[in-house]
Amino acid sequence: MIPGGGGAAAPARPVPRDALRRQAPYLFGLAPAAILLAAFFVGPALWAAYASLTNTALVGIDAARPRFVGLANYERLLGDPDFANVIRNSVVFVVGSAVVGQFVLGLSLALLIDHAERRGYRLATLAYAAVLLAWVNPTVIAGFLWVAMFDFYNGSLNTGLALAGAGPVDWLGQFPMLSVVIANTWRGAAFTMLIFLGALKTIPSDIYEAARVDGANAWRRFWDHTLPSLRPIGALALLSITMSTFGTFILIQTLTNGGPGTQTEVIALYAFHEAFRSYAIGYGSAIAVVMLLINFAFAIVYLRWSRARA
Amino acid sequence: MTAVGPQAAVQVDIPPPIRPRERGTPLEWALMHLAFVAIAAFFLAPFVWLFAAAFDAEATAYIRVPGRLTLDNFTYIFRELAFAKALANSAIVAGATTLLVVLTVTLAGYGLSRLELRRKGWITFAVLLLQTMPLSATMVPIYGLARLLGLRNSYLGLILIHAAIELPFLVWLMKGFFDSVPRQLEEAAWLDGRSKLRALFEIVLPVARPGIAVAAGLSFISAWAEVLMVIILVDKQDMKTVPLAFYETFRTAGGYVEVQYGLVAAMGVLYLLPVMAVFFATRRLMVRGLVSGTKGL
Amino acid sequence: MARVEYDDVWKRFPGSDRVAVHALTLDVADGELLVLLGPSGCGKTTALRMLAGLEHPDGGDIRIDGRSVLRLEPKDRDVALVFQSYALYPHLSVRNNIGYPLRVRGLTLAQQAERIGRAAALLRIEHLLARRPGQLSGGEQQRVALARAIVREPRVFCMDEPLSNLDAKLRTHTRTELKALQKDLGTTTIFVTHDQAEAMTLADRIAVLDQGRLQQLGTPDDVYRHPANLFVAQFIGSPPMNILAAHRHDGELVVEEAWRIPAPAVRDHHGGTALTVGLRPEAITIEQDGGGPGEVLVSEPLGSEVIVNVKVGSALVKVRTAPDVRPGPGTRVRLAAQPGEVRLFDPSSGTALD
Repeated sequence: MIPGGGGAAAPARPVPRDALRRQAPYLFGLAPAAILLAAFFVGPALWAAYASLTNTALVGIDAARPRFVGLANYERLLGDPDFANVIRNSVVFVVGSAVVGQFVLGLSLALLIDHAERRGYRLATLAYAAVLLAWVNPTVIAGFLWVAMFDFYNGSLNTGLALAGAGPVDWLGQFPMLSVVIANTWRGAAFTMLIFLGALKTIPSDIYEAARVDGANAWRRFWDHTLPSLRPIGALALLSITMSTFGTFILIQTLTNGGPGTQTEVIALYAFHEAFRSYAIGYGSAIAVVMLLINFAFAIVYLRWSRARA
Repeated sequence: MTAVGPQAAVQVDIPPPIRPRERGTPLEWALMHLAFVAIAAFFLAPFVWLFAAAFDAEATAYIRVPGRLTLDNFTYIFRELAFAKALANSAIVAGATTLLVVLTVTLAGYGLSRLELRRKGWITFAVLLLQTMPLSATMVPIYGLARLLGLRNSYLGLILIHAAIELPFLVWLMKGFFDSVPRQLEEAAWLDGRSKLRALFEIVLPVARPGIAVAAGLSFISAWAEVLMVIILVDKQDMKTVPLAFYETFRTAGGYVEVQYGLVAAMGVLYLLPVMAVFFATRRLMVRGLVSGTKGL
Repeated sequence: MARVEYDDVWKRFPGSDRVAVHALTLDVADGELLVLLGPSGCGKTTALRMLAGLEHPDGGDIRIDGRSVLRLEPKDRDVALVFQSYALYPHLSVRNNIGYPLRVRGLTLAQQAERIGRAAALLRIEHLLARRPGQLSGGEQQRVALARAIVREPRVFCMDEPLSNLDAKLRTHTRTELKALQKDLGTTTIFVTHDQAEAMTLADRIAVLDQGRLQQLGTPDDVYRHPANLFVAQFIGSPPMNILAAHRHDGELVVEEAWRIPAPAVRDHHGGTALTVGLRPEAITIEQDGGGPGEVLVSEPLGSEVIVNVKVGSALVKVRTAPDVRPGPGTRVRLAAQPGEVRLFDPSSGTALD
């Protein structure tokens, strides 16, 4: 009958060891993954940070006894005209193939396929599967396929142009950046498409119905309702493909290997070439660190946005 | 399935809202179908070429019906280029990687899902951050590490590194799957008298089976297809895997002599088929999983 | 068969300022059905889960039959819990769901079959044994969950809102059955709900909780007729107790400055002459003789009774009357309170004064 013990003293804090003991099985479960991640992600990143402060090399006198050189590698990086060129190439490549190519194409494909599904057009499935296939296809095969497509004498593109009466184009020689952008757009459009397709399915239909009752035509409905509701997820998709495109290596390496000259040398190729062709591990590491930092910045923005969405 | 990013991977499927189906005009029908054909042509053309060239005795770089249908290309790569050994190596590496990954991410995903720790948000954050790390940035130190530990030219090295590559994403994915398995299920099992480990195996894992299947499929595809780490870690003939065999045949040929398109295409077909088989067999699950984050190289 | 004691139990969730369970002390007798009642977030489920071993108290002790269970894993406590969501194992048939705790205990197949059969018969679900949980209706799932709990013959049943996912009709029906079943088995049961009607019909005793604190522990009658404070008075009963401002004047109570009722004897308090009066809707009668302090706003006929809303001063008073008493809006009425049913509360603390 009596209200329970009102103003008793504050409760004893939980015995920390007890609480930790209860969490122990879960922490053990995390251990194997943590070890692998530490060994192959965190460790190498830290090692790169360390090596970038030395003159570590694969061959020569510095290979035996690497010296600590402070920020010399970074200073060299800032004054390196090649690096400026590499950054320019990377930006062009990312903007061209991710922001313009994959994003615009992916969005268009999603709108088209979503619309087709609503209309009940079955052939949309074929287009959908084709886009997906280009995406799951191993990257090195993609590179090979496009080497063949772009081939000057026998490539399908030039054969097609010849049929149309147009002269052969030296794709990889004259327009190397355009070529790798086309290939990467082909390879990666599916990701953006899938994300937008998912998002389109979640737009509640009553919004459309309300707009239709209000007398909005199809274009108005699209501009006023469809596009705005895709904006937040579109921003995340854009960041996501920017990050993955920024790290592109294999595709360009197989297509042009950065050439002709250095016209398509993006940052990952430059780091690789410095480290393995010029054997300058220290300098290559500095490039890798810059790359990690740029990616890190994008990732932070990405995670903040996605958290805000959730 | 809805969103970008890891968050999304696991949301339970919400049935799409039923939208009124409008009938299109004949003109719309025609334009749309023209677009489908154009898209399919653009995305499929390279593959059509690949398959045609693989069976073409005189394959060239353009798409054509094989002049003479032949299996010579395949015979050649097995006889002269030891492709069987590469297939076997790849099967071993991809199979073992899949096993290791499934075991690791199941434990880690479950642990991360059920862990109650004030700093848990940080762990999740770190995992996601690692997921966005480009492999091409750390390949130099990974090369150094593998050399140091004697992991080059060994199955173990390839298995460990391929497992690690897929971990951040799949740990996240599995955490999401386990988040969607109600805790009450395992609590009920504990109260019924089971230990935590046995409750995990008898009650939680069977319920999370679709998630485990996705993790297995994705890690197999990734380990089978991945080439960058193989290039760095393998330079012995008898340790070559399919991606490396493909890459080398294609590169050396391209460098010095005319590309042997037929041979490379034959390798490409055998390289691609398992990926296609696994992916399209489980397309729905896979798409849901993959959308949440891929690494383009 | 067991006695359950909560002894000064505290629980605060990490990262939360609120105390989930605040110095809870309770004693549940062997074979008793005790209902933990309160609004959502009052700590009732947490209290239950601590007994099952699914949460861990920050302080205090929980004992079953005099032995502390805090150091025991859930699996070793011999407590069965029926979850709100039922938590049936989706990949196992109904038979294997019910049999799971028996299999865990290593009973032979024959023993298992015998006990599964008995539990299934008791809950009339024999025809469902081969199905999967996904193929069952909510009511059937609920029965399977109950069967899985009773088949073990545990020392204590814990039930966490087991009826809240059923539709209204089935809920009333199941609640009657559940009570009969519990009396049959005689197993100590702790039942959590936010539904006061459920609590009243099921309980041997009710423990009312609010914001982690035990507000009152008593039989349904006790709690209904003698609420320990204003929270209990307003949480229990539908419509709830009328709570009105009053002051003492010449041996009478002046309610809402308009309505005079005889004052009951009251123990001392420091509120001066101001008081809070609590009157159940059925403790008030209406006299329609054309005058009086009350003005009828609306009458709500419910079939077996009518709830008449009467404006008294600035307050709204709900009165429960016979179905034929139905004064129209605007009617002026005189109200009378049954003398034994007038409850008084301290206006500042809200605690009962009788």
